[in-house]
Amino acid sequence: MDNSGKEKEAIQLMADADKKVKSSGSFLGGMFGGGHHKVEEACEMYCRAANMFKMAKNWSAAGSAFCKAARLHMQLQNKHDCATSFIDAGNAYKKSDPNEAIKCLNAAIDIYTDMGRFTIAAKHHISIAEIYESDLVDIEKAIAHYEQAADYYKGEESNSSANKCLLKVGAYCAQLEQYQKAIEIYEQVGANTMDNPLLKYSAKEYFFKAALCHFIVDELNAKIAVEKYEEMFPAFSDSRECKLLKKLLEAHEEQNSEAFTEAVKEFDSISRLDQWHTTLLLRIKKTIQGDEGDLK
Amino acid sequence: MAYPKSHNPFADDDDEEDFKPKSRGFDDDDGLTDAERRQRYLQQEVMRTAQSAVDSSHRSLRLIYESEKMGVDTAEELTRQGEVLRRTDKMLDGMDQDLKTSQQHITSIKSVWGGIVNYFKGKPEIKPPPEQPKPYQGNDRLQSALSSSREHEDKYQASHPNLRRLDTGGFGASASIDDGPSRQNGYSQNRHLKEAHHTLDKNLDEMSDGLRRLKNLGIGLQAEIEDQDDSIDSLLNKVDKMDLKIHNTNQQIKNLK
Repeated sequence: MDNSGKEKEAIQLMADADKKVKSSGSFLGGMFGGGHHKVEEACEMYCRAANMFKMAKNWSAAGSAFCKAARLHMQLQNKHDCATSFIDAGNAYKKSDPNEAIKCLNAAIDIYTDMGRFTIAAKHHISIAEIYESDLVDIEKAIAHYEQAADYYKGEESNSSANKCLLKVGAYCAQLEQYQKAIEIYEQVGANTMDNPLLKYSAKEYFFKAALCHFIVDELNAKIAVEKYEEMFPAFSDSRECKLLKKLLEAHEEQNSEAFTEAVKEFDSISRLDQWHTTLLLRIKKTIQGDEGDLK
Repeated sequence: MAYPKSHNPFADDDDEEDFKPKSRGFDDDDGLTDAERRQRYLQQEVMRTAQSAVDSSHRSLRLIYESEKMGVDTAEELTRQGEVLRRTDKMLDGMDQDLKTSQQHITSIKSVWGGIVNYFKGKPEIKPPPEQPKPYQGNDRLQSALSSSREHEDKYQASHPNLRRLDTGGFGASASIDDGPSRQNGYSQNRHLKEAHHTLDKNLDEMSDGLRRLKNLGIGLQAEIEDQDDSIDSLLNKVDKMDLKIHNTNQQIKNLK
């Protein structure tokens, strides 16, 4: 097959490049600046080899080839190229070894923050967070990276990108029961978006989420919160989310879990509630049933 | 699981409605004249039609909310894109500045004469960075669209209650025509009908609200896209010029050797 041929070629290239690097290191030629040429050539060869490995779908080999290229670039003081190679390595490793990928991406982020390119660094923090979300399932670390990304975006005045990251942080915090943090985030994002003529249609969604988090913590908090949001954002009181919240509050006061379920079903019949919402609502419902004791 | 997936909130009502006519039919079957049977049949037809109207309004409502959700997501994505475009613009300006400085250096390297020319040209004026623009606002046209749509909606509302009064009035009349054993049946059917119509009206109101929001959202999105189109065009121009300048600078440096 064509690809296995490529792989053999790639391995050959790697061997050649290794030789070149060794020779330029030990040889006197290294002192004359002629060594630089060799190192550059070796760099290029590593990159070509890595691309061939990618064609042959040998991701680990591709990743390691890119890493070697990146280190050579670092020697040559080409920071941009070095960082780009690390990113390529990270992307290749994503498909085979997530931990290596994260290491490479972290190295690249360090270089970018050093150069002051925070936007790109933030983008790669998001990539790392996504790896933690899907492959490694380490939600705590994912949250940390999303937060870092949001901070960088805020620093660069990219508020909607920052909001996107913050929302993810909020969603995961609520899942991990860190409700206080989630509430702060949702209220903040809601307040930011409600003035923007294009984004205000999503503000009610955020206030709804914040109110749900309040609800789990304490019912009275939720009531006060809903009133506060209605004051801040009059359109909120017309929304179906607000009406649902009021019905839920009533049902909770009367400890009536049937009314609770009824209200949720009614809302769900028009706009589906997603996984996150249903999880939180179930938790709230448990508090009702918990209070009822053994009755239900 | 507490929340079954396909819940029709009207399922209970449906059973009730279908059940009642049958039980009534059971009692009165012998004494019914053809006319009365026909009347009963027509009443059931009316109920069925009203019910299906309510169901379809329910479905429309759901579709409207789904569209709104999609519109909202699109709006967020657009705003983010707008910010990226603005940042790219700033970076291009920075690159332009840097290229001017490097051009200066090159002319001074080329020759002594170049150095003297530079001296007379003076330092390149550093363009003052544009004052920190307000956080990206999107388009203001939306505000005026909102206020004007509200005026229109009030005028429309005036005509709406008239329709409502017509419906229930019509059926109130039919209730008085029924007599004899079917009098009670006519009344309860009328109540169901009233409920169905009430729900229908409520749903229609919600639908009109939803459509209004969708319209405004759409107008806002369109204005935003137009703005971004313009900035993309100007960016393209800048990038082309930049490309040319970089090419020239590269040539000059090669020739220096």
